Amino acid sequence: MKNTSLIPVVLVGFLLFYASTDFPEWGDPQSPASSSPVSSHFIAKTGVDTEVPNMVTAVLADYRGFDTMLETVVVFIAGMAVLAILRNFSRKKPVKRGHEVSVEPDLIVTNTVRLVVPVIQIFSFYVLAHGHVSPGGGFQGGVLMGASFILIALSWDLERALTRFPINRCMVVAALGILLYAGIGVLSMALGGEFLDYAELEKVLPVSREMARYHAMLGVEIGVGFTVTAIMFALYANLSSRGRLEGGL
Amino acid sequence: MMENSIAWILLFPLFGAVLSSLLGMANRKVCWPIGVLSALGAFGAGIMTLIRVIDSPDHMVVYLFGGWTLDSFPRGVGIEFRADLLAILITLIVLGVGLCVAIYSKLPVEQETPEKEGFFYPLFLLQITGLAGICLTGDAFNLYVLIEVAALTGYGLIAMGSKRAAAATFNYVILGTIGASLYLLGVGYLYIKTGTLNMVGINEFIGATEGLKESPTMQVAFVLICLGILIKMAFFPLHAWLPNAYCHAPTATSCLLAPLVTKVMIYVMIRMVLTVFGVDFSFESTLWSSVLPWLVVIAIVSAAVMALAQREIKRMLTYLIVAEVGYMVGGVWIYNYYGMVGSIFHIISDACMTLCLFLGAGLILRKCKTTRFDGLRGLFSKMPLTMTGFFVGGFSIIGLPPTCGFFSKWYLITGAMVAERWEYMVALLFSTMVMVVLFFRLIERIHLAVNESGENLGKGHGDLGLTKEQTRFSEGPLTMLVPLLSAAAVVLAIGIYNQEFVDLIEIFLDPFDLPGEPLSK
Repeated sequence: MKNTSLIPVVLVGFLLFYASTDFPEWGDPQSPASSSPVSSHFIAKTGVDTEVPNMVTAVLADYRGFDTMLETVVVFIAGMAVLAILRNFSRKKPVKRGHEVSVEPDLIVTNTVRLVVPVIQIFSFYVLAHGHVSPGGGFQGGVLMGASFILIALSWDLERALTRFPINRCMVVAALGILLYAGIGVLSMALGGEFLDYAELEKVLPVSREMARYHAMLGVEIGVGFTVTAIMFALYANLSSRGRLEGGL
Repeated sequence: MMENSIAWILLFPLFGAVLSSLLGMANRKVCWPIGVLSALGAFGAGIMTLIRVIDSPDHMVVYLFGGWTLDSFPRGVGIEFRADLLAILITLIVLGVGLCVAIYSKLPVEQETPEKEGFFYPLFLLQITGLAGICLTGDAFNLYVLIEVAALTGYGLIAMGSKRAAAATFNYVILGTIGASLYLLGVGYLYIKTGTLNMVGINEFIGATEGLKESPTMQVAFVLICLGILIKMAFFPLHAWLPNAYCHAPTATSCLLAPLVTKVMIYVMIRMVLTVFGVDFSFESTLWSSVLPWLVVIAIVSAAVMALAQREIKRMLTYLIVAEVGYMVGGVWIYNYYGMVGSIFHIISDACMTLCLFLGAGLILRKCKTTRFDGLRGLFSKMPLTMTGFFVGGFSIIGLPPTCGFFSKWYLITGAMVAERWEYMVALLFSTMVMVVLFFRLIERIHLAVNESGENLGKGHGDLGLTKEQTRFSEGPLTMLVPLLSAAAVVLAIGIYNQEFVDLIEIFLDPFDLPGEPLSK
């Protein structure tokens, strides 16, 4: 059986090699992907359309903002699905597993974490808000923020992290993130544009059409940040404790 | 509202999902009404879009997200939704099935996944969002994102079922991920060679560039995309995930997924073949098109034989789905006008009849606590309405007129004859015979006292060996019965008004120039 699974591996490998025989030269400026009107538009006009210096953020949050909204929904679904599968509402008292031991949190570890967590959280705000100019954005900022809560759970215990960020509040924050993203889309629709046409927000913001896109991108990035933060921590809390939300790793 | 109707098709279930997860934490009772209302809203938006598509001169409604309009920006800068007749017909099927199952789901969800309504309905609604989006999108990468939305919600919904559902889901996760990755890799190759992700853009680029049809990269991209989609639609040798996943899933989940997921993937294949790669490339430049029709024959025959071996309704139905997938893939790849009409029509009718069968099986499971063939004796006197609905679906699968299954199969067989693909026709007829055996055996089990192992349990003269208590009229609850009966009515209605549907499909197929098209038009 083990050897038969080699056949598809070799076959796919052959296909991939065969496909690469016709690739454009590495870095060829004449290749279709580099010379297409779409890439040229992104490179030449991003600043004109949106006032955003970071092209990647503009493509992610504005030109292809609908994709990003759905990716945020995917993150939300992941959290929802894990909760749906693992959460156990029966009142039965869980059996203690063999390898579980209770130890006092370590003094050095906890004190280091006390120092590090605020720095991580402030940095995550910076990454989130600075996504327009430098690498960063909602996903990265959200992951950093989520990591700070996971660090608390690792160095004390899960209960302590959960008193600061209860699991129900996690799901509320995650849902609010999507609500914020899609809400900005619907607002621009209500003001007369298409869904996610941020330029229409100039009618409620005291700025130009381009700057309206700029600010709306920050808005949707915050929405993404909310969802990613909450789901990161919810996934850790549920997976590490098999859905019991106590004890943990 | 009117000009944004396409966006609302996705936004109703999306906001419904967020709201039901927020409000469901406070009170689980509100989840079901939110689910039904947002499914209803989406269905309304779908109808509105259908009217706009039919009214517009080129039968097409284009919607550009983010206001990146085609007149001031190059095509492909933003994300485009294109509703042509095919897309909107399949979307309506998705939304209709979604609405039906949303109403139906109230009692099964309360019973099978108690206290988890707050998780079930958000996932349920996002599943509808994903599937409807797959039908409407005009962007190859956006399609991947939507496939991911639909797949992940599917994993969650299935794994909420019995203990064995988790293991079945794990298989599904692995195979589904492989399928999605192959698709994504294919899209990556397409982007390298064409420089755009927009479906119309890709198609125009292939048509305008010399030598692209012979390019190995394009050929491999095509094979990878097809392979990915074939895994996702459970085409026969790649079907291993489907039977267990749909059997062990909660009732409401299998009712939603079984009619839709495989069918929507066949739609994706048709979209790739016709409007992305184009007819010339798909059927004439690739080796694929000569191999696949023979694989189809193997697929149909083996799936039908495996269905014959099952002794439990839900399992039998899952193998029927696999066989039906073979029909539709075959209809596309025999490369013929009638085959294509049949395939598209069969997507529509198969979704409706599979819905009937699964809704019926869910009701039987609720009332009899089993769906094994042995537990079915006397069901016609106990639940006459349920069984009528169930067998309308069954007769449609067999292909008895005036159900819609008859007409779609008619077109498939016509296509096979015109294209002279006799092997495909024989496979179709063989599997029809098998389905006759399957459903009449079921009727026999219900009416006769003899059980599966051949014992006679009655005392003769029509006695089934049951007490009065066991055969007394006792129908399922209305919230479950009404969706079943309306699905059965739709199966009959599509059959009776089949010409209207075929007309719409023919308008859609008109520009594609498939062989065997009747000259009279």
